[in-house]
Amino acid sequence: MSGELKDIAHYGPALCVKFSETYPQYTFVAMGPFMQVYNYKTGELINRARVFSANKVHGFNFSKDGAMCVLYGSKSIAFCKTQDLLTREDFSKDEKMFAEWITDAAFSFTGEQVYILTCYNLVVVTDLEGNIQARRNLKNERSILYSGSIKVLSEERVLINAGTVFGGVLIWDLLKQEKIHNLTGHEGSIFYVVVSNNGKYVASCSDDRSIRLWDMESGKQLSIGWGHTARIWNLKFFNNDSQLISVSEDCTCRIWDVVAESGATSLVMKNIYETHLIKNVWGVDVNETEALAVTSGNDGRVKLIDLKQTSRVGDEVRSFNITNLPSNSPLSIEKGEIFKGFYWFNFGLVAITSLGNILKFTEATGTWEILMRDERLVSYSLTHGISTASGNVALFANNKCDLLLLNFSKDGQTIKSKNSLHLDNLSKSCNTMITAYQDEYCLVTVESPNPRDKFAVLQLNVDTLEIVHEFNFAKPDNFVSSCLAVYQQYLIVGGRFGAVAIFDMRNTDADAYVMRQLCPGDTTTSIEYIEERGADILLSVTNRDGFYNFTKVNLDKLASREGIAHEIIHSNKVMKGFLEGAFYNESGEYITYGFKSSLFYMYNEKNCYEIASEVCGGAHRQWKLCDLGDGQGYMLVYIKAAELYMRKIYTAAFPETLESGLHGREIRDISIMPERLPWQYSPENGYLFVTGSEDTTVRLGKYSPETGAVVNYWMERRHVSGLQRLRFISDSLVVSCSAREELFLWTVNTEFQSNPYMHIRQTLPTQSTHPDLRIMDFDVLFNAAGTGDFALATVYSDSSIKVWWYSNASNGFIELWSNRYQTCCILNTSFVVLQGRIFLLIAATDGYLSLYDISREVDILHATEDTRTVRFVNEAFGAIASTSGPAFTLRVHKSGIKTMDVARTKAGAATVRVVTGGDDNAISLTQFNCSASGELSGTVCSMVSDAASSTVTSTQLLPGATQVLSTSVDQRVRLWDITPDNQLSLRASKYTTNADTGCCDIVQTENSHHSLLIAGVGLSVWKC
Amino acid sequence: MGKSSKDKRDLYYRKAKEEGFRARSAYKLLQLNEEFHFLDDEHNLTKVVDLCAAPGSWSQVLSRKMFAEARDVAPEDKKLVAVDLQPMSPIDNVTTLQADITHPKTLARILDIFGNEKADFVCSDGAPDVTGLHDLDEYVQQQLIMSALQLTTCVLKPRGTFVAKIFRGRDIDMLYSQLGYLFDRVVCAKPRSSRGTSLEAFIVCLGYNPPADWEPHLDVNRSIEEFFSGCAMSRLQIADDAERLPAWTDGQRSIAEFMSCGGLQSFDSDATY
Ligand SMILES: C[S@@+](CC[C@H](N)C(=O)[O-])C[C@H]1O[C@@H](n2cnc3c(N)ncnc32)[C@H](O)[C@@H]1O
Repeated sequence: MSGELKDIAHYGPALCVKFSETYPQYTFVAMGPFMQVYNYKTGELINRARVFSANKVHGFNFSKDGAMCVLYGSKSIAFCKTQDLLTREDFSKDEKMFAEWITDAAFSFTGEQVYILTCYNLVVVTDLEGNIQARRNLKNERSILYSGSIKVLSEERVLINAGTVFGGVLIWDLLKQEKIHNLTGHEGSIFYVVVSNNGKYVASCSDDRSIRLWDMESGKQLSIGWGHTARIWNLKFFNNDSQLISVSEDCTCRIWDVVAESGATSLVMKNIYETHLIKNVWGVDVNETEALAVTSGNDGRVKLIDLKQTSRVGDEVRSFNITNLPSNSPLSIEKGEIFKGFYWFNFGLVAITSLGNILKFTEATGTWEILMRDERLVSYSLTHGISTASGNVALFANNKCDLLLLNFSKDGQTIKSKNSLHLDNLSKSCNTMITAYQDEYCLVTVESPNPRDKFAVLQLNVDTLEIVHEFNFAKPDNFVSSCLAVYQQYLIVGGRFGAVAIFDMRNTDADAYVMRQLCPGDTTTSIEYIEERGADILLSVTNRDGFYNFTKVNLDKLASREGIAHEIIHSNKVMKGFLEGAFYNESGEYITYGFKSSLFYMYNEKNCYEIASEVCGGAHRQWKLCDLGDGQGYMLVYIKAAELYMRKIYTAAFPETLESGLHGREIRDISIMPERLPWQYSPENGYLFVTGSEDTTVRLGKYSPETGAVVNYWMERRHVSGLQRLRFISDSLVVSCSAREELFLWTVNTEFQSNPYMHIRQTLPTQSTHPDLRIMDFDVLFNAAGTGDFALATVYSDSSIKVWWYSNASNGFIELWSNRYQTCCILNTSFVVLQGRIFLLIAATDGYLSLYDISREVDILHATEDTRTVRFVNEAFGAIASTSGPAFTLRVHKSGIKTMDVARTKAGAATVRVVTGGDDNAISLTQFNCSASGELSGTVCSMVSDAASSTVTSTQLLPGATQVLSTSVDQRVRLWDITPDNQLSLRASKYTTNADTGCCDIVQTENSHHSLLIAGVGLSVWKC
Repeated sequence: MGKSSKDKRDLYYRKAKEEGFRARSAYKLLQLNEEFHFLDDEHNLTKVVDLCAAPGSWSQVLSRKMFAEARDVAPEDKKLVAVDLQPMSPIDNVTTLQADITHPKTLARILDIFGNEKADFVCSDGAPDVTGLHDLDEYVQQQLIMSALQLTTCVLKPRGTFVAKIFRGRDIDMLYSQLGYLFDRVVCAKPRSSRGTSLEAFIVCLGYNPPADWEPHLDVNRSIEEFFSGCAMSRLQIADDAERLPAWTDGQRSIAEFMSCGGLQSFDSDATY
């Protein structure tokens, strides 16, 4: 029996972040009731201190000398030594209490007093022991504030800056208790007001999406900063008050210059950074010494932003106009000559012009030279390159089967070899590509637009550029090549229409193995070999339309050409825009890149943030992304408005995040994979788990029950509406459901070392066009024969109920039975086996539990000895549209039954126990009986009508079914014992900081403890 | 899919259109009344305050009950005042006031309109703009309720009824506990027309019965906490004489009786039709 509920780790909204001048190596983060301190250079969590018993820390401030810290949130306040935040675990004994919501708290100039501003515009002055010394306010100004800040300018001058619900900004002098300004202009609530450090400016932000800058002296509005596309939450002056940083609901952080010129002062937006998921960035601060900003948000992410991303090293961005290239001797560039192609090597750039001039840019000298001219490459040319240990090869091609290959020395000074080629056996050429092959070779593919022409592949020695071998393959039907990879003797070519073809260079007579429509989009943009395991290799494939997947190819099957050799084990799509490629970086993080609107982007798919972006004008242009080598980063070369740009995207100087965060909105359901992972995915072993959120995504991650450490793997963006339910139905299958009648069957694959993977194996057929038709819950019974088939029950928001059969072999769902309960929404369902008969139990918004007798109508499903399996008598079967009512109904709750869990019964059992939780704050234990003759009866054994002070959102039986864990919107997690006489008795209750607490899952760990994941707005790891 | 598109397809939304109500919220009040009948005795419904009333569907319901459907009491003896931050287009027999109910001056204005008369019924369907900070949103919501309650204690006659929208979040039990000091019975009611997926519910406070030794006294320079000090329900006073911030303790909590309103025959707002 478990008794105590204990918390281990928490991830959730981070409301405030700050750097400290006194502790320059640290970032302080308020997360839930905790203060977390990180070393921002290494990302290491130095300490996590509990500050308040229940309330969240909304903000904190340091004293002028940095030695003291005041923390506040809701009606709680605490003072402590900053030093102690680095080491102490728990400060909650020092928590003090206030009558009203605290909007800000700050130390006086001398640090001997604390000013506490409430949401009713009252300031209480206390000493550091909490003894009240004064109360100050503005007479007749007591309506509620949404925001406010205290600015201590000197011992005599302390300003209170208050933002009202009505768009007014009230500035008053604390010591004189006099109004200085009532600044009007904003429309809608004010969410933040701040005074510059020199006391000259006031900046405010609001509901109306604008930032306003005001003159403190005159109270005049100096400038309006437009740009954010949603509400703005926070602001800060930095850089001697010459800049302002803002964060908003549009998930961006922006930098503004305060420009004072010819008598006018204006706000000019300088930079935009994409920082958080979905909504709500709360905290922001700047470390001026490092030129580093930090933001924190509702998604639990703490994001570092390098404010010098494009100037830290100094050579990040360079642009050239072809008419004006720096060089040691004059370049003969003709009028109208333009860049046609280029490739970056570590010595610099090799480019070709529209007149066939081949240019070289040497990075060390910063100068250009013309190397040669090739008449064949006038007007039309393609450029590619590769860098290998044996050299740097640039490849140029036209559409008449002419190629020029140049091999440059490491330093780019000399051309080691050169080969001008013409392919006679092709009538024309439309695409030419190159890839490195083994150690000393490269492969060049030449494709003709004529489908009867062969697909030509040349194997060249990199050093000499001599052709060693020529392969000619029959081109698959309808195949147009677009990208290239090689593994052993297999040439893997991506093409249009989502196709990928594998050619065997040991057997040129054989047809290619073609995988069609691997992604739902059109052009395959990249293929990467990831790893091998046994006879399988794993490939990553991207598609321009935004889809990517991981495909497993079995080499034995490929060689024997028997049946289907490939299987998609992971699929996803990027957030937005065109996807040009993807790869794993050194840290094993999957990086995607491409274009969205006018930007080129690089994105970390694992932790879901942008690494870099470049305003290049959008997708339609010449561009190349090349590796800078040695883990330094990447070089993006592109043409914009006739200029050639080189943008170095250096590997970040700081960790990208201190916490990567989870979901942008509430987690609606969570499920832990029942088996602990045996070995994979260091650093710590643990359990895989999935979360489904209101933000429409499904995340796959891993957590350690011992340390609470959470690792993200994937964020799947396949659902189009917020998730209702999701669950591991076995160790490798997950089912998720949502509105629009979406129900997906996912496979989770843990075979490979690089990552676990997940893929939608099948989707349930939809039958309605009503976009609001939600699948509310589901349950499964597996085929006892072990075929992987299962019966699936689904319940809907329009009161319909369906039972399906999933066939693993044919990978399809067939409908067996359907019915309709009444007109209300059904919220839960479970299969129940009693006396060898199969029943379907449903719970609805009317508070009733109802049992349908499935065995009576679906005679091809038979109960077995094991209550979680079923036998399927596979005969031709027509779907039954049943109209019979439930075999038994019982009113249990006064209002909707939000959650239900059913105890597993023994084979042939006559009774089953069900725990339910409702919107009516109640938890009940109900027992159903079935007599040998099939007579049903039911009783509510225990009903706790005040089990919570708000909606009960989950009730879960612990393994063994003698205890129940419940969560509720009142943010309390309760553990109930089921007494021998079937009564629920409260054993433990503990507050969770996750607002909108909606779900939990439990797993029994090795040491017979239970590990819990509790989720809502945030995620907590507990044990009991 | 946005919430608004869902609203449009809602059955109650269509029904409101048909029956001439400005908002689907009308059914929430009607369904509460089906259970509690606080609008059914016209003799006990002569003076009413509708707080946070825009666009006005509750005022419409109240106006119909008080005037259109009433026959005994003369219309001159009745008064219905509606208050909101937003402007409201006129409704028959309703005096509208555009003001912030959390501002102490607003309460003074309403009291002025009522003169010495007492109200039979005060309701508030107010909801602030949500920020996404759950605890702040809940706090502001509770402040709206407390403002409404402050007015109520100054204007409601003994045994009168107070109804207000609540969000059943983490501190709702503290509110229940406080209301218990002022009313004979406090019920948390959820009309069927209010979505099960939302935290919205209504407190129905029946039988106004404040502590005998407590006299409500409105002063624009005192806070709500101070206003209620002395009636045993203030969570905490940092009154003028307090000298020290107290250590944190969890407040007094109690769980209100729950009731679902509207009958099982009425539409389920969570269902898809
Ligand atoms: C849900 S609507 C009320 C609907 C109304 N009962 C009806 O049936 O039409 C909530 C209203 O509360 C108002 N409100 C919010 N805060 C307020 C405040 N401080 N003072 C007055 N009204 C407020 C809003 O302007 C909004 O119109």
